[in-house]
Amino acid sequence: MLSTAFTIGAVNKRFGKSRYLFRLTIAGSAAIFLAACSSSSKPTSTNGTSSSTTPTGSAVACASGSISGAGSTFVQNIAQEWIKNFGAKCSGANINYQGIGSGAGVQQLTAGTVDFGATDVPLTDAQTAALESKGSVVQIPWAAGAIALEYNLPGVTNLQLSPATIAGIFAGKIKTWDAPGIRADNPGVKLPSTTISTVHRSDSSGTTGAFTAYLAAAAPQAWTLGSGKTINWPSGSGAKGSDGVTATVKQSDGAIGYAEVSFAEGAQLPMAKIKNGAGSYVSPSDGSAVSAAISAAGSPSAQGVVTPAYASTMPGVYPISTVTYVVVFKSQSNQSKAQLLRNFLLYAVGPGQSSASSLYYAPLPVGLVTFDKAAVQSIA
Amino acid sequence: MTVAVVSRRRRAKNRAMMSILILCVAIALVPLVAVTVYTFQRGLRGLSGHFFPQSMKGVGPLDPTGGALHAIIGTVEQVGMASLISVPIGLLVAIDLVEYQRGWFSRSVRFVVDVMTGLPSIVAGLFIFAFWVLGLHQGFSGLAAAMALAVLMLPVVIRSSEEMLKLVPSALREAALALGVPKWRTVIRVVLPTARDGIVTGVMLAVARVTGETAPLLLTAFGTQVVHSNPFSGAQSALPLFVYQQAGSAFVVNVNRAWAGALTLILIVVVLNVLARSFTARTRIRDLIRRS
Amino acid sequence: MGASALVLVLILAIAAFLIWKAAPAFRSAGPRFLTEKQWFPDNTPPKFGIASLAFGTVLSSVLALVMALPVAIGTALWLVEAAAQSVARPVGYLIELLAAVPSVVYGLWAVFVLVPALVPVEKWLAGNLAFIPLFDDPQHTFGRNVASASVVLAIMILPIVVSLSREILRQVPGAYREAAMALGATRWEVIRTAVLPSARPGLTGAAMLGLGRALGETIAVALVLSSSFDITWNILSPGGNTIAANIATKFGEAGPAGQAALVASGLVLFAITLAVNMAARAFVYRGGVAEARP
Repeated sequence: MLSTAFTIGAVNKRFGKSRYLFRLTIAGSAAIFLAACSSSSKPTSTNGTSSSTTPTGSAVACASGSISGAGSTFVQNIAQEWIKNFGAKCSGANINYQGIGSGAGVQQLTAGTVDFGATDVPLTDAQTAALESKGSVVQIPWAAGAIALEYNLPGVTNLQLSPATIAGIFAGKIKTWDAPGIRADNPGVKLPSTTISTVHRSDSSGTTGAFTAYLAAAAPQAWTLGSGKTINWPSGSGAKGSDGVTATVKQSDGAIGYAEVSFAEGAQLPMAKIKNGAGSYVSPSDGSAVSAAISAAGSPSAQGVVTPAYASTMPGVYPISTVTYVVVFKSQSNQSKAQLLRNFLLYAVGPGQSSASSLYYAPLPVGLVTFDKAAVQSIA
Repeated sequence: MTVAVVSRRRRAKNRAMMSILILCVAIALVPLVAVTVYTFQRGLRGLSGHFFPQSMKGVGPLDPTGGALHAIIGTVEQVGMASLISVPIGLLVAIDLVEYQRGWFSRSVRFVVDVMTGLPSIVAGLFIFAFWVLGLHQGFSGLAAAMALAVLMLPVVIRSSEEMLKLVPSALREAALALGVPKWRTVIRVVLPTARDGIVTGVMLAVARVTGETAPLLLTAFGTQVVHSNPFSGAQSALPLFVYQQAGSAFVVNVNRAWAGALTLILIVVVLNVLARSFTARTRIRDLIRRS
Repeated sequence: MGASALVLVLILAIAAFLIWKAAPAFRSAGPRFLTEKQWFPDNTPPKFGIASLAFGTVLSSVLALVMALPVAIGTALWLVEAAAQSVARPVGYLIELLAAVPSVVYGLWAVFVLVPALVPVEKWLAGNLAFIPLFDDPQHTFGRNVASASVVLAIMILPIVVSLSREILRQVPGAYREAAMALGATRWEVIRTAVLPSARPGLTGAAMLGLGRALGETIAVALVLSSSFDITWNILSPGGNTIAANIATKFGEAGPAGQAALVASGLVLFAITLAVNMAARAFVYRGGVAEARP
C-alpha cells in the first residue's frame, strides 16, 4: 500500500503538481496504512460468548466488547495483570483501566464516563448518595494487599518503624532519620542524620484513606490529622498516584512514602518492617502476614464493606493491610457490557486471584470470594 | 579623513559586553542541546522492535513489551480531525477578514480571534470536558480531543492565513477585477493560489504545535491501553498523553517507553516544522522580489 | 460571510458557557475566592480559593521571565548585531526549533535530567544564601519546587522571546546604527545608545508575550511541581502549584462543585493571560513592529 502511495506521489511530482501535494499524499497514506495495520490486527468482535481454559484447567467465561474503568492506583498493577490474562483468553474483550485515584474513579463512575470504578476505601455517604441518584450500585472487594512504607536511605536496608514513629514522621514532628523515635525502633542500626522528606498523595487517594485510618487506629495519640482520601499535610511533597509517590521516593535521598507493595517491589525500593499490635516487626512482603491480616478483618457487611482491624493484637499480621473495591451500577443499559463486566469480575475474584502472590498482593479469603461471586451476579 | 581614536577603556568594555552576549547565546543553546541529546539517547534505548507495531494491549505491569501504536493512531486521527474542522473554517474567516471589509464586524471578529490566541490549552480542554464530555453526556472520545485541539488551532490558522493573504499585492486583485472577474472568483483563482504556500506553512506550524499538546487531551481523550480506531466514541490514547502517563510511573519499563514516545514526538514536530519552513523560504523569495 | 459570523458566535458561546459553569463557584465562595488558599470545593461547606494557585502561577512565571529575559535579549542582540549571516541564520533556526519542542518532552526531561542536576545547586543556595527568604528551605528537601519549575519555564519561553526580539531589533532603522557608528561608537555603544532605546517598547512587549506563555503552561509544571497549597516565598521548598497544573490534576476527582471551581480558576487564568497579552501587543505595536507573530 505504501508503494501505491509513493507511485501516486511520484506521478503528481512528474506532472508538475506541487511538491507539497506529494508530501501530503505520503503523510495521508502513512496514516491510512497505520490504521489499516491496526484494524487488521484488531479482532473482530462477536456478540457471543465462548470459553477458554486457563492452564490450571478452570474454565473462564468470555465475552466481547469494551468496558472502561478508572480509580485506585493501589489495585492498578494486579488489574493490569488481570486485563492481560483475561484478554489473552478472551480475544474479543477490550478492557481499559486508568489509575487516576480512588476519588476520581468514583467521580467518573458517577458522571457516567466509565463502566466501573475502583476505590480502596468504601464509598462515603456522600458518594453513595450521588451514585444512587443515578442507579443502585454494588460494591465488591476484588483485591487485597498491603501498604508499604517505602524509603530511600542509602546504607539502611532493614528499617523498622512503629505506628507512633510513622505518625510522627508524616505529621512533620520527626524531622531527621537519626531522631530518637526512629533510633528506638532500630536498636544497634547506624542511622544517618539526613533530613526526612515525606512523600504523600496529592490526589484524592484511597491509599491515603487506608493509611491514615491505620494511623488513627494504631497511633491515636500521635496522629491528629484525621483520616480520609485527602489530608491537609503540614509538610512533605505531594505526588500523583502510587506511581508518582514511588517515583518521587526513588529520586529523592532520605525520602519516605506510602504505596501498595507491588510499586515498591517493582521499583526495587526497600520497605520498612512495621510493628504490629502484638509487638513484632513484620515485613509487607510477607504474604502470609498480609493474608492473616485480611482474614482477621472479618466478613463483609451487606454493602460489601470489609473493615480492616488496623489495631489488631493478633500475632503474625502485617497491620497496614486492606481490601480494595470495585463499584459497578447494578443495572447496565447495554447487555453485552453487562456480560463482559460480569465475566471479567468473575475472572478477577476467581482465577485471577492466582496472580496475586506473585505480584505482592494477598489472595482473597474463600469467604470473600463466595460473597463476591454472588454480588457479581447482581449486575444485569 | 581622520580616524576616531577609541579609548582602551571603551574597547575593553566593548569586548567584555560582546563576550557576555556570546555567553548568552551559549546559555540559550545549552538546553536545546541537552533536551535533544538526552531524548535521543534515552529514546533510542527505549525504542524496540515492538514500539511501533504494538499497543499496550496484553502488557502486564512489569512487562517490557508493548508500544505506542494506539497512541500514534490516536494522535493522527485527532490532529487530522482537528485540522479538518479548523482549516476550512479558519481559511474562510481569514478570506472574509481580508477581502471583505465589514467595518465594526470585521473589527470585532479580529479582536475575538486575538483574544482566543491567548487561551490556555487547559482551559480549551476544560471547556470541551464540561460541555461535550459531561454536559452532553458524550463521554471521552477522540472527537472530543479533536474539538479541543480545533479550538486551539483555529485562531492560529486565521491569523497566519490573514497575514499571508494580506501579502498578496492588491495589483493582482485589481487586475482581475478590471478584467471583469467576479470577486469570489478572484479570491479562488488569483488570491488563494498566490498565498497558497504561506497558508500551507501556517497550517503546518499550527498542526505541529497542536500535535504536542497534552493538557487538552487529559480531559477529553482520557487514554486507553488498546488500539481504538473509532474516534467518535470511546476513550482514545494519543502520543503526548501516552508519554505523560508513562512518565509518571516508577517502573523502568514504562519510563523507557515514555522516552521513546518523546523521541517520536520530537521527530514528528521537528519534521513538520522543517517542512513548513521550507515553504516559507519560497514565500520570502517572493517577498524580496516584490519589494525590490 | 457566514464563517466569520459562525466563529464569532462560537467564541461568544464558549465564553458564555464557561461563565455560566463557573458562576456557582463564584457565588459559593464569594470574595474568599481570591483569598482562600486551600482547595476543597467538594466539601461541605466548600472551602476553596485561588490565592495560593494565583501566587504560584505568577511567582513561577515572573521568576522564569527574570531568568530568561537577559539571556534571550543577549542572544537576539548577538544574532542581529554581531553575528555573521552565515552563523546567525542556522543558530536562529535552531533556536526556533527549540520553540517547537512539545511541553510534555520538556516536562519529562525536567523530571529525569534537569531536577536531579539542579538539586546540588539548590542545596548550595539553601546552604549559603538562606538569609535571603527566597532561598530558605526549612524542610531541606530539594528538587520538586517552584525554583526548578521556574527554570523549566524559563527554558520554554526562551525561544519565543528570542525570535520576537530578533524581529523587533531588525525593525530598528539602519540609519540609527549608522549615525552612531559615524560618531565613532564601538559596537556595544551602538547597541546601547541607538538600538536598545528605540527597541525598548518592542522588547518589553516580547517579554510580556513570553510571560503570557509561561502563565498558561500546564504539563511541564504538573510533572515537576509536587503540588501544595501554601503561599510562601521559599522557592526551594517542595510544593507550590499553578492554576493550570491544578486544573490538570484535579479535574478527574472534581464533583459538580469542584468542576465549577476549576472552570472559575481557568477563567481567572484566562483573564490574567489576556491582560498580559493585550498589554504586550500594545507595547509591540508602539515599538513599530508591523505584526507580532503569535
